Amino acid sequence: MATTGRAPKNVIGLEYNTAVVLAGTAALGLAAGSTGSLALLRRRALLADALSHATLPGICLAFLVTGTRHFPVLLLGAFATGVLGVLVVGAISRRGRIREDAAIGIVLGCFFGAGIALSGVIQRSGNGAQAGLDGFLLGRTAQMSISDDIWIGTVALGTVALVLALWKEWKLICFDPDFAGVEGWPVRRLDLLLMVLITVTVVIALPAVGVVLTAALLIIPPTAARLWTDRLGPMLVLASVFGMLSGAVGTAVSARSSDFPAGPVIVLSASTIFVLSFLVAPRRGIIARTTIRVRRRRRRERRRLLGAIYEGVEENGGRPVGEAELARRRAWRPGLLRSRLEHARRRGLIDWRSDGIALTPEGLVLATRTVRAERLWQEYLRTEARIDRDLIDLDAEEIGAILSPEQMQALENSLRARGRLPESPIRPGEPGRGGS
Amino acid sequence: MKRSRSPAAATEVGGAKGDAPAIEVHDLTVSYQAKPVLWDIDVEIPAGKLVGIVGPNGAGKSTLIRAILGLVRPASGWVRIHGESARRGRHGCGYVPQRESVDWEFPVDVRDVVLMGTYARLGWFRRPGKRERDLAMRCLEQVGIADLARRQIAELSGGQQQRVFLARALAQDAQVYLMDEPFSGVDAATETAIFEVLLALREEGRTVVVVHHDLQTVEEYFDHVLLLNLRLVAAGPIGTTFTRENLLATYGGRLTLLDEAAEAVRRGAEGRPGWRPPAGLPRT
Repeated sequence: MATTGRAPKNVIGLEYNTAVVLAGTAALGLAAGSTGSLALLRRRALLADALSHATLPGICLAFLVTGTRHFPVLLLGAFATGVLGVLVVGAISRRGRIREDAAIGIVLGCFFGAGIALSGVIQRSGNGAQAGLDGFLLGRTAQMSISDDIWIGTVALGTVALVLALWKEWKLICFDPDFAGVEGWPVRRLDLLLMVLITVTVVIALPAVGVVLTAALLIIPPTAARLWTDRLGPMLVLASVFGMLSGAVGTAVSARSSDFPAGPVIVLSASTIFVLSFLVAPRRGIIARTTIRVRRRRRRERRRLLGAIYEGVEENGGRPVGEAELARRRAWRPGLLRSRLEHARRRGLIDWRSDGIALTPEGLVLATRTVRAERLWQEYLRTEARIDRDLIDLDAEEIGAILSPEQMQALENSLRARGRLPESPIRPGEPGRGGS
Repeated sequence: MKRSRSPAAATEVGGAKGDAPAIEVHDLTVSYQAKPVLWDIDVEIPAGKLVGIVGPNGAGKSTLIRAILGLVRPASGWVRIHGESARRGRHGCGYVPQRESVDWEFPVDVRDVVLMGTYARLGWFRRPGKRERDLAMRCLEQVGIADLARRQIAELSGGQQQRVFLARALAQDAQVYLMDEPFSGVDAATETAIFEVLLALREEGRTVVVVHHDLQTVEEYFDHVLLLNLRLVAAGPIGTTFTRENLLATYGGRLTLLDEAAEAVRRGAEGRPGWRPPAGLPRT
């Protein structure tokens, strides 16, 4: 088979054979991405792993019985034992009251072990054709011919078409199968159909990706896609695109150097996409999450600083407050305080003069808000001793949202009576620059 | 997907539309792993009423609803919904499952979930269109969260999630509603909103069956009550059924619950509306 396209014709700059294989693996990635998304959401992903491992004995048996290496024949064998594996998982976990993950582990091990043993038998029999079977372990795209390709592509597209046609049905049984049952949908049959889709996808992926890693191609692209979106449609599209990309990149790399089996390279490509998504995805990515956290902490620190300056100026009767005094107020380390001050100055919040530090109008607005909320909260805690202060750390602004308007009014009145309520931005008692 | 639903189905049962029970349960026994969780239940649930199912934890309240809906297979007995076998009749039922029964991280938004209530009417392959989306929005308005329509469901509070399920059930436009603890773990505002929806459903002549765990509010909320503890202890109109003896029989020797039950009955006897815990406090 591999020999059909050996002539180095050039198709868009690629060897003819590579182009053929590329198209095949891309179609494969497409099918794996969309079916994998559903498998993942219906919690069938691990079952797919048991399934793919369970296909190995089928491939070997098909070869032993028929003596051919034709893909359709071998894949039929794969299909048979794959389905058997899934049925055994179901039987063990239902009948024997064993958890499904344990059942999956058992089946995966047994079937894969049997497959390896059978391939050992084939190897010892000295049949030269066994070389072709090795490819099924880790995938070997070089063996794919144009006819295999058309075949794989057709099945892959059929799979995608079914996923699209039954879109709302899949969505429903993945999200809430009980509700689907009440509504009269044949949940069990739809589940069965989904399992068939998964099986077909796994089986056609075997020649390219191999028994060991096929499940990864179903799991990784959808998981990466989920990081980018909160909606099912975009998730499926993205997963399919990621699957296609991995398939194409993996094939291209593995075609360049025969040292790399296609399966691992394809899965590594998918993993690379996943790692990148994990880092840079908006909102869910590590970088986005860290940025939000850092920004929030900076904001809190900035407010703390402004609050301290406000109080200092207030106590000084409106005169700017010195750096040393500020450091004493909040027990800041000198270096840390200085960097905070620099930061606040760059943002135009403070006025750092020779006689000390004062607030700019913008800084004053923020500081007033902060101190006001802080004091209201303290006033609240003063009267409500039942609250464990260690357990609740409210950001200043959140107080108004939590307490009732009446409570807020009472707190404000009580603070105002003692002259402790910072009113709308008036520089605390500073005569020179007041009136703003 | 065929839906043999309400008007036609109801008249089939016979002209006595008002008197025919919405749900009949006959000799129903259900077991999990060879232990019975419901024992020989015989009950008729009247149409057009607000019906509470009450009983201690593990009494089989949820199982009864799930058995009525054909989601668990009974060891014996049968269920009829508007005179039809459960498997057929349940298609006309609105269902509000327990909130914990689904994965709220699922990649859909609020409106998507509500639209699921229209799927059965759409049938195979057809996708919801503008009419369904409008309906979904009306249902969301009715439960007071129309502004959250495009929100990812993971971002909702518990009360909001419960309202989404209720809106989905409204979109089903069913004659019989079965709800599994819709009041559990929701804030006071949501509790009120949900109760108002239940009243509106009854107003329209629909039957609403609710698994309920808060004895304090039973009398206020329901017309009819089923007291359940493995067996059916009593069933009937609130006034004659929600009595001290029946509650004692239902809750058995559990002291704290017993006190609560006694308290509820005493209040009922004095004809006062029940004491409501202050907003935001969890119910016992």
